This record gives sequence, structure tokens and C-alpha cells, in this order.
Amino acid sequence: MNVDKKRKLQHVLIFLLNVPLMLIILVPLFYTFSISVMPADEIYQNHLIPTSVNWINYIQAFTNPYYNFLRMIFNSFFVSIVVMLAQMVTCSLAAFAFSFLEFKGKHVLFLAVLATMMVPGEVTIVANYLTMTSWGLLDTYRALILPYMTSAMGIFLLRQYYLTFAKELYEAAKLDGCSNIRFLATIVTPLSRPALGALGAYEFLNTWNQYMWPLLVTNSKNYRTVQIGISMLYDIDAESLGLMMAGVIIVIVPSLSIFVFMNKQLINGLMAGAVKG
Amino acid sequence: MAKEQKAIRSLREKTLLEKMEPYFFLVPSLLVFALFLYYPFFHTVYLSMFLTNKFGKPKIFVAFTGDDNYLALFKDPSFWAGMWVTFKFVFFVAAGGLLIGLCTSLLTEKKYTGSGFAAAVYAMPVAIASAAASMAFKMILHPTNGLINHILGTQINFTGDKRYALASVVCMTVWLTSGINFIFISSGLRNVPQELYDSAAVDGAGYWRRVWSVTIPCISPTLFFQVIINVINGFQTFSQIKLLTEGGPGDATNVMVWSIYKDAFRNFRFGSAAARSVILFIIVLIITIIQFGYEKKGVNY
Repeated sequence: MNVDKKRKLQHVLIFLLNVPLMLIILVPLFYTFSISVMPADEIYQNHLIPTSVNWINYIQAFTNPYYNFLRMIFNSFFVSIVVMLAQMVTCSLAAFAFSFLEFKGKHVLFLAVLATMMVPGEVTIVANYLTMTSWGLLDTYRALILPYMTSAMGIFLLRQYYLTFAKELYEAAKLDGCSNIRFLATIVTPLSRPALGALGAYEFLNTWNQYMWPLLVTNSKNYRTVQIGISMLYDIDAESLGLMMAGVIIVIVPSLSIFVFMNKQLINGLMAGAVKG
Repeated sequence: MAKEQKAIRSLREKTLLEKMEPYFFLVPSLLVFALFLYYPFFHTVYLSMFLTNKFGKPKIFVAFTGDDNYLALFKDPSFWAGMWVTFKFVFFVAAGGLLIGLCTSLLTEKKYTGSGFAAAVYAMPVAIASAAASMAFKMILHPTNGLINHILGTQINFTGDKRYALASVVCMTVWLTSGINFIFISSGLRNVPQELYDSAAVDGAGYWRRVWSVTIPCISPTLFFQVIINVINGFQTFSQIKLLTEGGPGDATNVMVWSIYKDAFRNFRFGSAAARSVILFIIVLIITIIQFGYEKKGVNY
């Protein structure tokens, strides 16, 4: 009984040690939300917590065609989903070849894929911008999507997973006359749902959170992603701090939803992709 | 009999189409890499040898001449100032991230009521976009209406004053990267064998002694790996700089990727921007080689 009590007290004390650090992480988010629902005059009186909750900034963001938030949210969703699905397909195909098939140059080609991980995206971004300009693709979905249709991290992640499958499975399917592509689609893919989930959650979030590339290749409101949109609110009207913070909350909600509902997949993806440029 | 032989032969000998098949599986990925990684990489190296027009078309070959882009950078004091700022930024971001990651991981190592919640909070920043976080911190650091000035009772222009600008961006970046630091370091902690703690406890080692002589040495490979990730990510930082300080004031936060952006899209000097990109690549490459070297040796156990 006494030992139990002592342990409980110890646990409470350890939890209390967490409080300052948790505050450091949480306060910026609470503060952002608080400003976003604060009546404008209270922001300038430096209130920290609003006296009344006011959703006007959210209504503005969604209904005022000048900000065009709905369109930008759609753009971000569309681009992120296409990139995610494209990577699932291209990475599955490549990973399948690298794990199940034998061919000349396999080793060299695999090294060529891994080598792409050594080049940070920022190194090639100016040249990629020039490519897009010369193709006349500025301000298109294609410019936002095409460069991210595959990733070495995705190929590597899926290959590692495929390598855990028994070779006999493949040989048996081959003897039954199953083609490679059918084997990949009907047997391998359903079995590798955890790996695909990790890749999907990670790539969706990555694309959703992109900033530099969309900043370079989009100019018109029609193709701007929501991250660019919220960051431009400041340039449009530095006074509307509340609207800016509402924008931040609006873009964070989908990211945090993935974090909450696909936590395990996301973290697996992150662990696989941490060194990616 | 003949049929059987044919079947066996078809198993052994592949048709041309079958020989080509694996490459078809690789075409989509390799095509994307070729267009958006290999080609732009060599294009960058090529451009870095030229003066370009404002559309990025190479005009005058200047490599190894007096107008060489690299030489011009090396002679420019602003380049070296930016380099020094970048190294300071990377150092503090890597160290700060490691410290907060280690603290949060140690605090949630044991299970107790609320430890799961705390762990979720610590991991959360991984989901948050750098642009969104930058905008939130723009408000927090606001000179007249921001949270920090409100708490301190001051009116400091954190992002516009060269005494505070770099520190502000570093703090914001440490906040943003604390999640990934926590996730990796706490996964490293879970792999420390329990027997080591038990035998340390039998020897009468206190908590701090155990952390210092058991935990830290055991997770040193993880810590090393995490430092490398922090350093590489630090060199790639852009959003915070663009949104909070624009590299300023003066060169106070003029980190490398910002200077690439400024050269290309503000001054339209694509050749010089390409040269900066190549320098960034070489720095990251050196760090990667150091990492491989250490991984082979294995960090001390």
C-alpha cells in the first residue's frame, strides 16, 4: 500500500516535469488558435485569450472570393493525393523489379536510385524551375506534381518490405502461370498494405506541407497551394493578423488529422524517409 | 514427352520480351529521376560555369576566367558572412534539437499515467508545415502584439533586429524539428537492453549515473544519426527565412538556400545561384560521407 502510494506520487512528479516542455510545444498552437477567434480590437489590446469566440476570420477565409481559400485547399488536396497515388504505383513497380526480378544492371540501377537521396531538393530546384519554364508549365498542376511522381525513399521502403516475402511464393505463382504484373497487383500489393500506408501517409503530408517548390512554379491564385496562400496573407494585409492565424489553423487541421488517425503509418514513413533530401 | 521438354525449356530460356520486362517496371521511376534529378543536377553544374540572361539561358562561358561564378562568390564578403551564418544556424539547430529530443525522450521513457499523452505532444510538430509554423511564429514574435513581447513587457522587433533575428529563427526551427528528434531518440531508447539498467541498479548507480554511463553510450549511434539529420535539414532551411526575416537584417540570417533563391529569383543571376547550389551539394555530400564512415566503424558502444 505504502509502496503503491509512493510510486503514484513519483509518477505524478515525473508528469509534472513534462509540463514545461509540453507547454513549449502546445502554447504556440493554442495561441495561434486563440488569435484566430479573437475580435480584432482585442488583438491590438494584446489579449492572450479572447473574451468572446468570434468565427468571423474563418467565415472570411472560406467565403471571401478575394482570398479564394477553398480553391487553394482543393489545389493542395488534389496535388497531394495525386502525388501520393503516383508514388504508390511507381515505387511499387520499381521495388518489385529490384526485389523479385533478375536482370542485367540491377545493382548499378539500384545504386543510381539510392544516389538520388544524396542530392538535396534545394540543389536542383533552380534547374527544375528552368525546365518547367521552358516547357511552359508554370502555373499548372503538372508543374506541382510531375517532379514528385516517384521517390528513392518509397522504392527503398517497399523493397525492404518485399524482401521479407518468401521466394517460394513468387516461384509458386510463376509455375501457375501468373504474370509478374498480376502477381504484384493481386498478391504483393494487398500483403504490403502496412508499407504502402506508411509511404502514403508520409508522402501526402510531405506534399501538403511543401513550400519552396509551389512558391516558385505558381503565380496565379488558381494554382496556388494553401501553404503559399496563408503565407501571402501577410503581404496582402499585414493588419489582418486574425485572418492569418485562421489560415494557419486551416492548413494545420489536415496535417494533424493524419498525425492523429494515421500515427503509426506516418511515423514508420518518417523513420524511413528522414534522410531524404 | 516433347511437351514436357518444351515446358522445361520455356522455364529456362526467357524470350526477349521477358528479358526486357524488368526494365519496364523501372521506366516510370527512372524517367522521373532522369527528368527531375539527374538532368537538373548536371544542368546546375553546367549553368554554374556561365553568366546567364535573366531567363536562365547560359550566355557567356566564364569558368576559369576572371568572371568565374565560384571565384566571384569566394571574393564576396557577403558569401562568407552567409556561410558563417549558415554554420552557426546549423550548429544551434542541431544541438538544440538533440537536447530537446533527449529531454523529451528521457521523460517519456517509462510508462506512467499521462506518458502517452506527453509522447503524442512531443511528436506532434512533425506534422506541422514549416510555412504554417513560420506564420504562427510571425504572430508570436510580432513586435507590438506578439506573445513573447507581451510576456516580457517589451517591444522587441525579434525578426528585424540583427541581435535577435538568427536566435529567433533558430528557436522556431528547434520547435519545428523537436518532433522528429523525439521520435528517433525515443525509438533508440526503447532498444537499450533492460539488463544493462538492472545491473547498473544492482551496482547502486543513481538515475543520472545510469543515464550518463548506460543510456547515452547505448544510444550514441542514434544520437549521431539524429545530429546528421538535423545538420542536413538545417542546411536545407528556407521557409522560415523567407517568411520571417528574408535573410536579413543585413546578412544576419542569410543562410545558403535563401541566398540561392535570392540570386536566382530576385537578382536573376542563375549562374551564380547554380554555383551556390553546387557548393551546397558538396557540403551535404561531405556530411553524408562522414556519416557513412562512422556507420561503418560503428559509433562507440
